Amino acid sequence: MSDACEPLRESAVFNLTEAVVMVVDDSPFSMEVTIQALQGFGIRVKYAVKNAAQAMDVLKLYPIDMLLVDCEMDGHELVRWLRRSGLEPNAYVPVIMTASHVRRSRVADVRDCGANFLVTKPFSAAVVLERIIWVARDNRPFLEAGDYSGPDRRFKVSKPRDDNERRADMVRLADHLARQAAAALEEPKA
Amino acid sequence: MTVVMWKPRTSRLSTIIDQPGGLSVGVAMAQARANLEDLKGQAEAIVAERIARLAALKPPGAGQDPILALNEAYEIGRAVIDAAGPFDRDDLCKAAAGLCDLIDAAEQGAPFDWRIVTVHAQALQLILGLPPEADAARTEILANLHHMVKRKIPTIDQSAD
Repeated sequence: MSDACEPLRESAVFNLTEAVVMVVDDSPFSMEVTIQALQGFGIRVKYAVKNAAQAMDVLKLYPIDMLLVDCEMDGHELVRWLRRSGLEPNAYVPVIMTASHVRRSRVADVRDCGANFLVTKPFSAAVVLERIIWVARDNRPFLEAGDYSGPDRRFKVSKPRDDNERRADMVRLADHLARQAAAALEEPKA
Repeated sequence: MTVVMWKPRTSRLSTIIDQPGGLSVGVAMAQARANLEDLKGQAEAIVAERIARLAALKPPGAGQDPILALNEAYEIGRAVIDAAGPFDRDDLCKAAAGLCDLIDAAEQGAPFDWRIVTVHAQALQLILGLPPEADAARTEILANLHHMVKRKIPTIDQSAD
């Protein structure tokens, strides 16, 4: 995964024409700005809804590939509900939150709701595109720890030590990588 | 003891993005900018209307809930950021964000100095009326607003320009 702050190359090619995207925003103008920017990126917004209740109705019925949620209108509550909903595959969908201003009392809620990334406005098409491509390549595992359910909040990529690894998540990661490597070796035989 | 469940997941988005076809970042950005340009007039109208509404806000009178008036000013500040942000009006966004920070920092139950709202409304009107080349005036207005924010919230993390 590339660094979270790494700028995009102009020549880099991506294809999100088949992505099923939902935008949740209670401001009609902000919604239109987001939709127009996404269309420029070749992304068609399939679901554009103005509140959490409408979003939940869609999420319960249809699989989506990416969710963009405005932080106001309690967007963090929607994301928290989604991560704990058990909906497959939507509970694990990449989520980008946007906010023009986050109240201090809500910073912790937004941080802990389980979104992949928070984009603070002023809205910049370049930043949104960077974040979309970043979350598409975001391979952080999902964690359920206490009250938190969502992608691992640690951005620094850590690797299991060769010897004497005692960190539980690194032990699991080493097991997972070993299984992946074993499966890759077995594949040609099948 | 907290139990940590660890689930490696690969999103469908990560597969879709590498499919053949698509477009380059340069083309995508050019298309997005062209699409957003069509909304510029609408954004300017929204910004002007919201700033006028902010300037017309009256301080809450006796018996009125000050929280309602402050929430309205806060929402107007947010709306200015929403509308001005996509069109590189960082000056308007910065002024509006300062107002939001100050309202957000207001302690519940403590009296709020309404002159903060008035000064921000006037500053936003001034900035909106400035010609694009008036960088010095713009910088001075933002510096004064920043000074006020810094004085009220010493721990704020916001630069003046």
